[in-house]
Amino acid sequence: MSATLERYPAHLHPGYRTQARALRVAAVAPVAEDVVHVTLVDPAGVPLTPYEPGAHLVLTVGTDAAGEKQRNAYSLTGDGVVPRTYEISVLLQRPEDGGAGGSARVHALAVGDLVEVEGPRSSFAPRHDQRHTLLVAAGIGVTPVLSHARAVARWGGSAEILYSYRPGRGAHLEELRALAEQPGITLHEVVGREASAALLAERLADQPLGTHAYACGPPSFLEAYEAAAERACWPASRVHLERFAAPELDPGVLFSAVLADGTSLEVPPGTSLLEALLAAGRPVPNLCRQGVCGECVVPVRSGEVEHRDLVLSDAEREAGDVLLSCVSRAACEGGVIEVEV
Amino acid sequence: MTLAPENPLAPETPAAFPVRGHTARLPWPFPDDLEAFRYSVNVEPARLVRQTAAGSWGGTIVDLGGEEYGAIMADRRRILDADPHRVRLMPGMGPACWDLLVYYLRDLAISYPHVMELSEHGDVFHWRNHALGTDQRFVVGDASTLPYDPMTFLGREIPDDLLLVKERDGHLCFDAGLVTFAAAWSVSFDVGMTMTEIHNPVPRLTREGVTSRAEQFLRRLPADQVYRRVNWTLSASGSRKLDVSLEELPEWGTDIPALVRDEDWARLQLRIEVEHFIRLPMTGAVTFNIRTHMTSLEEIRQIPAWRRQLAQVVLELPEDLAAYKGFLDYREPAMAWLTAPDRTDPDRTASEKELA
Ligand SMILES: Cc1cc2nc3c(=O)[nH]c(=O)nc-3n(C[C@H](O)[C@H](O)[C@H](O)COP(=O)(O)OP(=O)(O)OC[C@H]3O[C@@H](n4cnc5c(N)ncnc54)[C@H](O)[C@@H]3O)c2cc1C
Ligand code: HEM
Ligand code: FES
Repeated sequence: MSATLERYPAHLHPGYRTQARALRVAAVAPVAEDVVHVTLVDPAGVPLTPYEPGAHLVLTVGTDAAGEKQRNAYSLTGDGVVPRTYEISVLLQRPEDGGAGGSARVHALAVGDLVEVEGPRSSFAPRHDQRHTLLVAAGIGVTPVLSHARAVARWGGSAEILYSYRPGRGAHLEELRALAEQPGITLHEVVGREASAALLAERLADQPLGTHAYACGPPSFLEAYEAAAERACWPASRVHLERFAAPELDPGVLFSAVLADGTSLEVPPGTSLLEALLAAGRPVPNLCRQGVCGECVVPVRSGEVEHRDLVLSDAEREAGDVLLSCVSRAACEGGVIEVEV
Repeated sequence: MTLAPENPLAPETPAAFPVRGHTARLPWPFPDDLEAFRYSVNVEPARLVRQTAAGSWGGTIVDLGGEEYGAIMADRRRILDADPHRVRLMPGMGPACWDLLVYYLRDLAISYPHVMELSEHGDVFHWRNHALGTDQRFVVGDASTLPYDPMTFLGREIPDDLLLVKERDGHLCFDAGLVTFAAAWSVSFDVGMTMTEIHNPVPRLTREGVTSRAEQFLRRLPADQVYRRVNWTLSASGSRKLDVSLEELPEWGTDIPALVRDEDWARLQLRIEVEHFIRLPMTGAVTFNIRTHMTSLEEIRQIPAWRRQLAQVVLELPEDLAAYKGFLDYREPAMAWLTAPDRTDPDRTASEKELA
């Protein structure tokens, strides 16, 4: 008999958990104007799950009006090697600037508080065989870049860091300056939009063969980075970036979605396929609802799709067998998409 | 001291047959009702305990091999000392090897607490393996604190061949390996290849879409689950010898022709490989660690359910698969020997009658 006797947890050691669990706030410290640095530890003192440079943690920051958990992603700033703490730095987004209150709740945390976290999750990892790396940060986008820089220092690689910040708002400047004392690591600091663009163009044009570039910052900065890399003839496969937020999307067209069991759902402009699926009682995992995290991926059987996410590669779009349901829709008014949900 | 895994949850399972040791621990590769074998993405969650006709297996990720542990490790260390090319690392795989080492030492210390101990103070680890006499302090990430690179250090403590795959330019590549017990392939030849390139010699696999489904599976392997897979063949050697790699071809190349000539079928070995897939969190590398087990037709013959099933599966296998696995030319006489009633054993004769 090959009967199943017992099912054990996948990882015996507690330092490999990634599912929702509570961590304790061990320290809270301001690191720049409107930026706090929060240190989390396991309440029982067990080691935390290692992570890839550039990974983020998902924090439950509260509940929204409908009673749904509000979860925000925050980049981990360490090198990820057998960590005993998880550290994040969070910029306060005021409501008048479009903040939904999540970052304000992180700012209100105090030592001893318990926070629900999930992950770490990796969506901005370095290429393991890179020979050199160009790290580009603007504003709060410094958090995953600091993690990359620390990993480069830890493993003895070489990196050039370009950090664009506003005076008084350069979070983690001291740490980056200290890293740049190490052989193989250089730091360029730059203030102001035009100076940043000029320096970016100059540094992109002057990298050794085999360099991979990584950037994180506000949407307009990342657009400038992509354009500059293209002008300097960088192959897209060596140009990496992470977005904290997606640009505003138009409400889109009316279309319908046919589900695996034949049910047809109308999706009006301003409503996402994800929202329509959830309203119809079909559970689809989701997180950012902005087309940046990749969580809400849905298999597609037929239908022409307008991909509006920032996750899928060109090849994956061409293959056309998946879409990200929080942002992508039918390509034309009244179109029909068959999905396997 | 015991090498039995500590598994407080595992119920006592009396062996269904009075066999002990090697046979009782053997990961029999076929489900009970399987009559015909074809390639598929045959993966299942790890740590699932499977009962077989002779015992059970599978509660731990690492199977030290009970009383055979010392001998297997002596063989492994001898091969590594003699041939440094059995360890091959592509550029940038150092961190993934540390990731592998940390994961396995932590797992071993929990699975085998009477034999293995690990203490951690930040990045400073202290590893003790009382069965092999290892006592090593090291700093994670600092190669100068270990006598070998981290993959070799681990390979000298556990019987598994160690393979790591990582994504490069949209393909999963076999970018680091310590392999001393390969079945007619060579780590030096295969390292750096994509999964498609590696599986090219296997008939049907890529054409029937198994390779790309396997790659999809590994690419999506979640961080919170561990999977395993079992592979089997008849070994290219008529002994327990685990190392039938291309490097050692002169050592084993004449074994099977001699065995076939002498019709010495009892010595023929079923080779079973249990492979574990783990996504290592610090680097995103995925393991494909292979634990190889051998059992002779003589041993299989003792277990009526096994002899019947193996003969059925081997004889039914299409010619191209049988040729790839290397037994097309001798499978009939070998399986005839395996299933022939043995008149000196009244029990077995009875069971054969029952069959007929
Ligand atoms: C991978 C990743 C890493 C990040 N790392 C960091 C970091 O290290 N530090 C940091 O400060 N921030 C980071 N962020 C941003 C962070 O997750 C929050 O977005 C930010 O803190 C603002 O949170 P909030 O709750 O105040 O506003 P949010 O809820 O994030 O709202 C911001 C904007 O999104 C819109 N929005 C919110 N919810 C929806 C919805 N359901 N549908 C449509 N639009 C919506 C809002 O209208 C607003 O314009 C990261 C984001 C990502 C995706
Ligand atoms: C789910 C994943 C995988 C599946 C289903 C799979 C399947 C197979 C199968 C069916 C064979 C033929 C074996 C036989 O008949 O004896 C094979 C051979 C082999 N596999 Fe895989 N495999 C997987 C992953 C991998 C990975 C990740 C590696 C390497 C890192 C690998 C390396 C090899 C090698 C080296 C061979 C021998 C090829 C030869 O004859 O030269 N496999 N695999
Ligand atoms: S929920 Fe993040 S991409 Fe859709």
